[in-house]
Amino acid sequence: MSAPTDVMVAEPQAPDPAPAAPARDERWLRAGKLAVRWIAAILGAMIIFSVLVSFQGANPLEVFADMWVSTFQRPRSLTEIFIRMAPITLAALAVVLPARAGMMNVGGEGQVIVGAVGAAGVGLAFDQTLPGGLVMVLMAVGAIVAGAAWAGIAALLRLVFNVNEAVTTLLLNFVALDLLLFLIYQPWRESAAAQPSTREVAVAAQLPTLGSTGVTVGIIVAVAAVIVLGWALTRTRWGYRLGVVGGNPEAARRAAMPVTMLLLSALLVGGALAGLAGWIELSAVELKLRPGFGTQIGYIGFLASWLARHRPLPVLVASFVLAALSVAADSLQLDSGLPASTINILTALLLVAVLGWTTMKGKKT
Amino acid sequence: MTPESTSDAVTPLLKIGGFTKRFADVVANDDVGFDVRAGEVHALVGENGAGKSTLLKMIYGVYTPDSGWMLVEDHEATPGSPAEARALGIGMVFQDLRLVPALTVTENIALAMDTGWNLKLDALATRVSDASQRFGLGVDPAALVRHLSIGERQRVEILKVLMTGAKLVILDEPTSVLAPQEVDALLGVVRHLRDQGLGIVIVTHKLREVRAIADRVTVLRGGKTVLVGATPGDYTDDELIEAMVGRSVPPLIALRDAVDTAVPPALLMEGVSANSDRGHQALTSVTLRVYPGELVGVAGVAGSGQRELCEVAMGLRDASAGTISVSGSPVTNPKTAATAGAVCVPEDPVADSVVSRLSVLEHMPLDGRPIPASGLGVAWALIRRRTDEANAKLGLRMAPKHRKLSELSGGNIQRVILTRELALDSTLVVAAYPSRGLDAANVRRTQEVLLEARSRGAGVLMVSEDLDELMSMADRIVVMHDGHISGEVPAAAFDRQRLGQLMVEGVS
Repeated sequence: MSAPTDVMVAEPQAPDPAPAAPARDERWLRAGKLAVRWIAAILGAMIIFSVLVSFQGANPLEVFADMWVSTFQRPRSLTEIFIRMAPITLAALAVVLPARAGMMNVGGEGQVIVGAVGAAGVGLAFDQTLPGGLVMVLMAVGAIVAGAAWAGIAALLRLVFNVNEAVTTLLLNFVALDLLLFLIYQPWRESAAAQPSTREVAVAAQLPTLGSTGVTVGIIVAVAAVIVLGWALTRTRWGYRLGVVGGNPEAARRAAMPVTMLLLSALLVGGALAGLAGWIELSAVELKLRPGFGTQIGYIGFLASWLARHRPLPVLVASFVLAALSVAADSLQLDSGLPASTINILTALLLVAVLGWTTMKGKKT
Repeated sequence: MTPESTSDAVTPLLKIGGFTKRFADVVANDDVGFDVRAGEVHALVGENGAGKSTLLKMIYGVYTPDSGWMLVEDHEATPGSPAEARALGIGMVFQDLRLVPALTVTENIALAMDTGWNLKLDALATRVSDASQRFGLGVDPAALVRHLSIGERQRVEILKVLMTGAKLVILDEPTSVLAPQEVDALLGVVRHLRDQGLGIVIVTHKLREVRAIADRVTVLRGGKTVLVGATPGDYTDDELIEAMVGRSVPPLIALRDAVDTAVPPALLMEGVSANSDRGHQALTSVTLRVYPGELVGVAGVAGSGQRELCEVAMGLRDASAGTISVSGSPVTNPKTAATAGAVCVPEDPVADSVVSRLSVLEHMPLDGRPIPASGLGVAWALIRRRTDEANAKLGLRMAPKHRKLSELSGGNIQRVILTRELALDSTLVVAAYPSRGLDAANVRRTQEVLLEARSRGAGVLMVSEDLDELMSMADRIVVMHDGHISGEVPAAAFDRQRLGQLMVEGVS
C-alpha cells in the first residue's frame, strides 16, 4: 500500500462545480422540524405554567379553559383584544425597523409616551377651535414628530458619539415618564383638586369606531402600517439598503451606501411608529394623559417584535397573541382569583421557549 | 473491508483504509487510504475540493466515515470525537488558529489541558517553557497571544497539540498564512519534530514545500487517492502537478506590453500616510502610480500595510497625509472611488463584503455603483440579467443566484465577489489576494481575468502572498515593509531572493 504507484493521469476535470440548491424535500423536512419545535416550545411553556398555577392552588386545566372562554367566546373580549392590539403592533414595528438596520430600539415605551404627549399637546391646544377630523390628523402628526424626535436623541448619540442605542433608548424611557409626570402635575393639569391628569380630548377628536363593533380605527392604522412597512422593507431600495446595513455595515460602507443616514432614518421612522402607537392609545383608550399611561405598550411591543423575529407580517400575529394574553390576564384575576401578573409568567415562558428552541442553523456547502 | 496485515518493517503510527464519506449526493472521500510512520513527514496534497479536509476531519473524529477502517499503532480505533482522537495521540493544528488573543500562551494551553478547576498556571508555565525548548519552538509562555505574529501563534498551536500528548501532528495548510521566511522557519520546526520521532502530516498545495520537507506524499483528487505514500523524489514536478490537477496546466501567458506613462495614472498616490484601525500609523508616505494597462503587484509580509494601502486607494480609509486620485479624479470616500471607476476585491470578503442572510443575487448591487432603480424599488430583473452576463463573461461558475451567502464556502464566496467586481467596466482594479480559497482551475481563470482587465486598459493593483503568482503576472512588483514601500522591482529583474529581502529587512 505504501509502495509508490504510478501517476494516474485522468481526463481533464471540471473545476470545482458551483454548488447546487438543497433538494426540495430537504426544505420540507426543515420546515417540519421547525413546526415540531414551535409546538414543543409552546407546550413546554404551558406545562411549566401549569405547575406554577397548581402551586397557587388552582387547577391548570380550568385556568386554560377559563382563559379560552373569557378571551375568545365573549364578543366584548374580542373587541378589547383588537383595541389593545393596535398600539402593540405599532410599538412592535418601532423595534422591527431599527432591527432591520442592526439596531436595538428598547425605547418604544418612551417613544409611545412622548408620542402621546405630542398628540395630547396638539389636541388640547386645538380641539376647542378646529374641526374634529382636522384635530385628529394634527394629533397624529404631533405624535409622529414627537416620537421621531425622542428616538432622534438616541440616534444622534449613536451617530455622533457612538453611544449604544440600546442603552440610550432604554434610559430615555425613564426620562419620558418623568416628562409625562411633570406635564400632568404642573402645566397641563386639569384641576389642582382632582387626580393629576389632563382633561380628556374632545369627543370629535377621539378615534371613531368601526361601525357598531366598538373596535376603533386604530387597528386599521396598525394593519396599514404593517403592510406599508412590509412593502418598504422588501420592495424598496431603502429597505434593501437597510437590510445590507443591518447584515454587515462594513459591506454597506464599501458599497458606498450612506450608512449614517440609513441608520438615522431607521431610528427616526421607528420612533414615529411608536409615537403613532401613543396617539392611538390616547385617542382610542385613555383619552387623557394620566400617571401609568399606556401600561407598558412599548415593552409588550418589544416582545412582539422578538416573537415575530423582527418581521412585519408575523408581528400582527404576535401582537394579537400578546393582546389576547393581556385580556386573559384581566379575566384570570376576576374568575380564577389569580393575580393578573400571573399571565406575565406565561408570556415570559412562551417568549423564552419560542426564542430558545426555534432557532435553526443552516449548513455550508 | 478488513485491515490488511502490514508488510512494512515498522508499525505505522496511523494507518487507514477504505475511508468513504458521502454528503448527500457528493462523494467527498472514496476508498481513501494511507499510512503515517513515526519520524516521517507525510505530505497530503490536492486541490480545494479534493477531499483533504474531509479526510482530516474523519481522522480527527469530527466526521465518522461511512465505511473504512483505521489503525492507531496497530490497534483498531475510529475516533468518534476530537477528544477521542486526542486521547489516541492524534493532534490537529487548524488553518484558522484557535487561540484566544486576550490570554497568554500558558492560559491558552491551559484551555486545552484537562487541568480540573485549579489551573496551576505557574507549574504549567514551566512545563510550557520546557516543552518549547525540547521541541525547538521558541515560545514565550508569558506572552499575550495578541502580541504574537501569525508564525508564532502557529508554533503555540503546535506546542499545545504536543503538550496534550500527540504523537501524530496534522498541520492543515500551515504555510498559507506565512511569508516566505516564516515558511522556512516553520519547515525547520517540522524537521525538528520529525527528528524527535513524531509523525507529521502536512497538508499543502505548494509543490515547493513537498519538495522541501516531505518524506512521502499522498495526492488526493476528486475524493480519491491518486498517489499513496509515494517518494517525492521519484516524480518530476510536472508529474506531481498532473496528479493533483488531472491535467497539466499550461504556463500563464502574461504579455507585458510597454506601459504608456504619458497618460494620467489609473491610480496615483502621493505621499500618503494613514492609520490602522487601532490608531497606529500603518502607511508612511507612500507614493505609488499604477498606469492604465499596467499590473502592479504588491508583495510583503502579512500586515505590512497592504490592507490599508488597498483601503486608502478605494476611499475606504482616510489618509492622514497625501493625495489619492483614480484616473485623475480625487478620491476621498468610497463613492468618489467608485464613480472614478475603481473596483475592489477585498482582503477578507466574509468580513468586508458578505451579508450572510442575503442571496448571491442580492449581493450583486453592492459594487459601489448606484443601485439600478425601478420606481422606488430595485430593478432586480435588470440585475438578474447583468448577473447572468457577468457569470458568462468571467466563467468562474458562481453559485446559483438564489443561494444565501451563509450557505457558501469561502471559495464560493470569493467567486461571487470576483464575478461582481471584475465584470464591471473599470479603470482601476484593486485586488487583494484574489485567488484566495480557489482551486487551480479558478485561480487560473481569475488570473486570466485580471490580465484581461489589464490589457483592456485598466490599471491593476494586486496584493498577493504568492510571489510566484506576482512574478508571473506583474509588470512591476512593489514591496511593502512596515507601512512603506521598501523597493520596486520591474518584471525584467524579478528575483525571489531580492524580493524576500525587501519584504523582511526593508532593503535589498
